[in-house]
Amino acid sequence: MEIFIAQLISGIALGSIYVLLVTGFNLMLLVAKIIQFAYPQIVVISMYTCWGVLQLTDNKFLVILAGITVSIILSILSEPIFRKITSTQGVDINASFIASMGMAMIIMDVMSHSINYGFPVAFPPEWIGGNLLSFGLITVSKGQLYALMGGIIAVLIFFYLLYRTNQGRFFRAIAENRYAACLVGIPIIKTSIFSYFIVGVLGGITAILFSMLIGSASPWLGEFVALKMLAVSIVAGLGNLKGGLFCGLILGILEAMAMGYISGSWSNAIAFVVMLVIVLIKPQGLFGSRI
Amino acid sequence: MSEVLYYFLGFTAIYILMGWALYLPYRVGQLHFLIVACMAVTAYFGGFAAREWGWPFILLLLVGISIGAIIAFVFSQAIGKAPCFTVVIVGLTSVFIVKTVIENWELLGGTIGFFHIPTVKYLLPIIYILLLIVGFLIYKIDHSRLGRAASVVFVDREVAVSLGIDIKKLGMFFQIIACAIAGMAGILDAFFVNSVSPEFFTFSMISYLMCILFVGGYTTMWGVILSAFILQGIPLLFPSEVASWRQVIYGALLVIIILIRPEGLISRKMLWGLKPKFSFNNK
Amino acid sequence: MKKKNNILKIEHLSVTYGPIKAVKKVNLEVSQGEYVSLIGANGAGKTSLLKAILGIEKAEEGNILFLGEDISRKATDKIVSLGLCLIPEGHIIFSSMTVLENLQLGAYHNPSGFEENLQRVFTYFPILKKRSSQIAGTLSGGEQQMLSMGRALMSKPKLILVDEPSLGLAPKTVTEIFDILGELNREGYSILLAEQNAKKALESSHRCYVMKTGEVAITGFSSELIDDPQIRQAYLGGS
Repeated sequence: MEIFIAQLISGIALGSIYVLLVTGFNLMLLVAKIIQFAYPQIVVISMYTCWGVLQLTDNKFLVILAGITVSIILSILSEPIFRKITSTQGVDINASFIASMGMAMIIMDVMSHSINYGFPVAFPPEWIGGNLLSFGLITVSKGQLYALMGGIIAVLIFFYLLYRTNQGRFFRAIAENRYAACLVGIPIIKTSIFSYFIVGVLGGITAILFSMLIGSASPWLGEFVALKMLAVSIVAGLGNLKGGLFCGLILGILEAMAMGYISGSWSNAIAFVVMLVIVLIKPQGLFGSRI
Repeated sequence: MSEVLYYFLGFTAIYILMGWALYLPYRVGQLHFLIVACMAVTAYFGGFAAREWGWPFILLLLVGISIGAIIAFVFSQAIGKAPCFTVVIVGLTSVFIVKTVIENWELLGGTIGFFHIPTVKYLLPIIYILLLIVGFLIYKIDHSRLGRAASVVFVDREVAVSLGIDIKKLGMFFQIIACAIAGMAGILDAFFVNSVSPEFFTFSMISYLMCILFVGGYTTMWGVILSAFILQGIPLLFPSEVASWRQVIYGALLVIIILIRPEGLISRKMLWGLKPKFSFNNK
Repeated sequence: MKKKNNILKIEHLSVTYGPIKAVKKVNLEVSQGEYVSLIGANGAGKTSLLKAILGIEKAEEGNILFLGEDISRKATDKIVSLGLCLIPEGHIIFSSMTVLENLQLGAYHNPSGFEENLQRVFTYFPILKKRSSQIAGTLSGGEQQMLSMGRALMSKPKLILVDEPSLGLAPKTVTEIFDILGELNREGYSILLAEQNAKKALESSHRCYVMKTGEVAITGFSSELIDDPQIRQAYLGGS
């Protein structure tokens, strides 16, 4: 029972991080009409930034600020490239996938070459916090609890913004029907650039919560997370925000449970087997694709 | 023949095969990374069967092709006409699952890899003969009814349906051929390197194949050949400090090519320009 | 300021799609408070003309003056913010959102007068008030057309462009929609209506332009054109 509770906590924390990732990814897909495969790499590089700033200062506020800033900058830097691609190719999503794969390769290689000699980085204990609860071998750290609360709050705020405010409504309007959005006078390009900014903020927050949860980062983390993000969004249905919310949480819990009861290296594969089976049975996703 | 040149030619040929395996399903708009999983499976199977059971190379070649085709056939029942990204995720997750299984299987050498696969005489000429045969086959497919149908499906699925093209059958056909080629490439790879390692079948392999297909050009089969030679040559031509950054180079190439030449180095239009012009005013 | 009070003045406007000229050197005017119709067969260039006014299609040559300002090179969102709106053909709405959200989106450039506008739209289309929390995609075709019109009115436009409002609707609903257009005009809205149903268009509008293969073939007062034998022959089904 103790294992169950501990894994449930870390599962929900992990799940809310997946939700943030998938939501950011879906927002890019819906508003800017691109597949941002490099998004998880941006998240990982802002985790590295947090780690780097932590070497210099103890000021947590500065660390958070730095992480979010880097994520925003990278996200906005990718905007002109994607805009060029989508404008010359009509709305060929494959082209944006290929280009973002190239970006992911670049970011990954930079991390594995130049930061910490390519070794994984570990966050200092001040950042993760000590153990809060421990039952025998199972412990729940403060970092996990922060990630849990932060994740839930971030998801709630973000979905509130998306569904209850004007700006969120503009995003959804463009996602649903570009032509009609154009007719009511929503500035498509400006709103789309703004979505890169929002996704950057979201990526920074995700990075901070993720670093608190797992306490380390490595150059290979990005591809792993990218795979999960893409898988969740396909299982839920591409562009389906609510489906992503549900599936992201479920994946996090499933993974944490597998980790609690099955030996380490197999536990990851189980989540993938489940997702593979779902995709094979329902190629359009559980809740239907929105693009 | 120097060792560097030997490995350069061999790997290039194997990557051309894999590039073609990625090219074929992309004819109908599907990025089929299942080929990498197929390659991993047959490479390990081939290595194991050759070392432990002493199966001959030729038999393994045929078995490898069949294994690839069977895997693709089973999967294509579900994803024969699935949208591109569903196919992408099926491929990516399969690669990951296969990799996890290999790494946890003591018999196959775990994370270290599987070594001492017997050598085959005249392997390089054999690889190039197989390359020619596969190339000829793909050329035939491209210039057949199926190839033209695929071009229609790529541009507009609804039009294709209205023309009476069975998208699912077509997709299944290309996926099966692609995985059969990948299965063959896996066997060739195992015998060429005399070892297999799980490190080989990762995200970087997938991105490398993407690079080969899209830098060269996805509209014809010739682009793959050109870019496989170029990309495989980059680490050889440059000093090792530059070559160690090849992932960055490949990534940058991919972004640049999509920006300035979305169809890749060799496009279909370009080939039309090369064909002899025939005039209509004959006498 | 002796000039007539033009709200919209189009000079030598051409629109091309690749090799095809959809609109050829069209001149057109709409005065303040006027109800102008644009009739012609399918493919005569009516929709292209309306889209060009709103900046959705790029004008190849010519000027479009709206309230004296040239809008032919402006982006659509800027044009909408000036007080022009298009009710597109085939009731294009945000079908997964509620009716109210659709109307809120219509008020993008006019958020201050939201409540007042909403009440006004509800008086024109009482059905929308009843359905305001319903998902827009579940409305009937006629209701969706009304929602599309209501959404356009939320921006408090000075000139309303209407494209084929009768398309695919039941005759009774068509009459209803034309009644509302007439009412809107009497309340001071200027309207430019593109319509294939020439009879309805001529009956309701003040002035009419007849378009033929991208050009304005005939122009005149609707009440005169409706009796013109040539028009009767070509557009009103003979006799």
